[in-house]
Amino acid sequence: MSITLKRVLREPLLHFLVLGAGLFVAYGMVQKPASGPNEIVVTSGDIEHLAAGFTRVWQRPPTPQEMAGLVKDRVREEVYYREALALGLDKDDTVIRRRLRQKMEFIADDIVAQAEPTDAELTAYLQAYPESFRIEPQITFRQVFLNPEIHGKSLARDAGRLLAKLAQSGDKEDAHKLGDPSFLQNDFVALTSSEVARQFGTTFADKLSVLSPGQWHGPIESAYGMHLVLISERTESRLPALAEVHDAVRLEWGNTRRLQSNEEFYQKLLQHYTVTVEGLESMDPKTLLVANRQQ
Amino acid sequence: MAHRNPITSLTTAALLSAVPLLLSGQALAQYVPLGDQQSLAEVYHGKAYSPYAQRSFPSRVFWGDTHLHTALSMDAGLFGARLGLDDAYRFARGEEVMASSGQPAKLGRPLDWLVIADHSDGMGFITDLAAGKPGIIAFEQGKRWYEGLQQGGEASADAALDLIGTFSQGKIDPKMMAEYSPGGKTYASIWEKVVDAAERYNDPGRFTTLIGFEWTSLVKGNNLHRNVIFRDGADKAGRIVPYTTQAPIGSTDPLDLYAWLENYEKSTGGSALALAHNGNLSNGIMFPVDAQYTGKKIDANYVRLRAKWEPMYEITQIKGDGEAHPFLSPDDAFADYETWDVGNLDLSEVKTQGMLQYEYAREALKNGLLLEQRLGANPYKFGLVGSTDSHTALAAVEEENFFGKATNAEPKPDRMSHPFAENENGAYRGDMLVASGYTGLWAEENTREAIYDAMARKEVYATTGPRMIVRFFGGWDYTPADLNSRQPAFRGYEKGVPMGGDLKAVKGKQAPTFMVYALRDPIGANLDRIQIVKGWLDKDGKTHEKVYDVAWSAGREPDAEGKLPPVGNTVDVKNANWTNTIGASELGTVWTDPDFDPEQSAFYYARVLEIPTPRWVVYDAFRFGVSIPEEAETTHQERAYTSPIWYTPEA
Repeated sequence: MSITLKRVLREPLLHFLVLGAGLFVAYGMVQKPASGPNEIVVTSGDIEHLAAGFTRVWQRPPTPQEMAGLVKDRVREEVYYREALALGLDKDDTVIRRRLRQKMEFIADDIVAQAEPTDAELTAYLQAYPESFRIEPQITFRQVFLNPEIHGKSLARDAGRLLAKLAQSGDKEDAHKLGDPSFLQNDFVALTSSEVARQFGTTFADKLSVLSPGQWHGPIESAYGMHLVLISERTESRLPALAEVHDAVRLEWGNTRRLQSNEEFYQKLLQHYTVTVEGLESMDPKTLLVANRQQ
Repeated sequence: MAHRNPITSLTTAALLSAVPLLLSGQALAQYVPLGDQQSLAEVYHGKAYSPYAQRSFPSRVFWGDTHLHTALSMDAGLFGARLGLDDAYRFARGEEVMASSGQPAKLGRPLDWLVIADHSDGMGFITDLAAGKPGIIAFEQGKRWYEGLQQGGEASADAALDLIGTFSQGKIDPKMMAEYSPGGKTYASIWEKVVDAAERYNDPGRFTTLIGFEWTSLVKGNNLHRNVIFRDGADKAGRIVPYTTQAPIGSTDPLDLYAWLENYEKSTGGSALALAHNGNLSNGIMFPVDAQYTGKKIDANYVRLRAKWEPMYEITQIKGDGEAHPFLSPDDAFADYETWDVGNLDLSEVKTQGMLQYEYAREALKNGLLLEQRLGANPYKFGLVGSTDSHTALAAVEEENFFGKATNAEPKPDRMSHPFAENENGAYRGDMLVASGYTGLWAEENTREAIYDAMARKEVYATTGPRMIVRFFGGWDYTPADLNSRQPAFRGYEKGVPMGGDLKAVKGKQAPTFMVYALRDPIGANLDRIQIVKGWLDKDGKTHEKVYDVAWSAGREPDAEGKLPPVGNTVDVKNANWTNTIGASELGTVWTDPDFDPEQSAFYYARVLEIPTPRWVVYDAFRFGVSIPEEAETTHQERAYTSPIWYTPEA
């Protein structure tokens, strides 16, 4: 067995086995073949389990007194559990049904959760969905704020004058002194376009993405008012190499695989059943087979 | 009630009305551009010439939710939530997901960080799973399953089924079974899934996940819930499992939760904090003054521990706003906001007026001053955050994009007319659900450590959903010039403390000054006013409160009684619309407490009100073509609550 295989094996199979086994080991603890129907045996394994659970919460083993409390509680739970099952209280209980369904889905999730993709798989994924990983443009800019309420109809004229003044002085002028008072910052360094949109609104961000750097532009409307803008630097958006976005691609790859696997798992189980829906003749049985789980 | 001192009026005037003509050359007396008078060195008091170099204060607000449930929470699942951890994170960071109700959902704007806080009770249901040794593939069964799983697709589904079937029928190879050594037991649990998902989605600088859980203490239907948030990652938070309320290991007593937190920090070297929510549904036991619900007297130990472990309080969320109650604050015209005061969480007990004083944040802040005087520590010295407490895995509380409390209240025509809870004691009507809230916090960067540290130092503020930017500083000598400087925040940090801080008495100083300013949500509504809420303890041990209007949009003046006229209302209910033709996009002022007494302990927080906008029911009615129930509120003034700044007299 190769080293790589071992590495892969370490996580995926074991975790899955462990999960599957755990379910049935847990189940087995309740239905001990050795004990009679009215006999409750708290095994050494059970005690170990209780002690370990306590230790996990409190980071120390239980004292003898606490251990006694845990065992007493366990017996009480077991009595109620068995009586409840005997009375059929587990039937048609929404909470129990949903919980069991959830457990099955966790099993399906874990089939893939552990699988480690190869770089080839990730590259293929990146090529299939390049836009999801696009690197955003970054913009360094300065803005001078103009409050439309202040300028009213003379806004265009005032903006024009100011623009002419700024065009002469370039970036030497103190932007804060020139505009109308505002708590907005004047200078922004390497802001991504989505950050620009979040601070000024999308219209403003879209405008900024097409302005030529090195000269004053405007007025440009934002959520707050009008702005004269000087872009000093802009890096364009681009598609990354795998190395730059490896973790993100891996996350997405895993998520896609999880959703697929869940669906396949369900479809597989569904094949064991004949499903009839009474009173809904209009419903094509095939629609039951269509993925209901969200993508 | 409203008070304006000369400084305030000057500033407000300068900001709101005097400036207009500045650009056209007709400078008005009130507004003096600072740059003309002061050298750059005076403007920037920093250590370096460059104002950005060596800057060590938080310069950005990061938005998030401290309280979101997924299908992992039993009650969420019961309501029909299908979305899990992955979906919750993906939605919060801005992606479109399919809601449990089968409709696509996407946030208007992504959040910067998220705490998934599923209920700890029941979180560890797949516990005690034996771990094997990596020799399993040596067995025929193991090899077969392994290969199947690796192939993916149908083959892996087959393998999974085969595996389950083999286990359930007891046909597992006994030699392979022996590989599961009891001594090597590990615990795969839901908690591990929670921790693992947080680790996978944590993307420092872009999107922060904080590991957390909700400790759901409910005593006879009275809400004592706390969320626990970790600063740590899997290496520490993954070593424990969450504290529950179920005996014998867990408990419903907050003192036991504090002991657990103490133990967590001690044994792992990590950091964690707790925060409570929904005092409004606690029927008088959330903020006790004399005795805990257990009957145990509130003593020095209780106040010390609560102060230590609970640095924040969730003041607003879907199940009601918890800042103030009109019964407790009859002089506050804005106290009755999204009030839920019918009974406790499960409506098993009706609310009485006597309970209210132990339920609302403002009253708790006041009683905290009293307890500090009595017992030496202030148990209610908390910062303020807003959260969703949504049980849909969707942190969606924008009014026009509200996905409800639980899956059964996701968008659909009858959700506002269908009661959220109802019994003989009363009802929480469907239309009463509140599309609230989020937390803004001031941090240096978007990382787990920076976000957590902002929470721990209380530099946080709550909003009922909108993302207005709010700064609030307290000191002894802020001036209007500080506010009008290029970077008011520089002055804010230099000359005083930010929200959540402590104002120390300084000899020779008359009264504290507060610099407060707010920018409206860039895609939201204009601002009506900024208020400062003051609470204090007099020499007879009685608490008081007063709400000051300190900055407001132009065109209004307080009347003879000091009452500021309403800002107006542009809401068009029929068309689910409003306009920003009233209010202001920014407000700010420097305010001096006119009633300050240096002998009295006090707190101050800012409340920023938006102009009236439609509640979510209005958007529902418009989109679904249904009518709004008569008793439903249709418009409201959304708001932000900053964490307080406390003043304590010298001992």
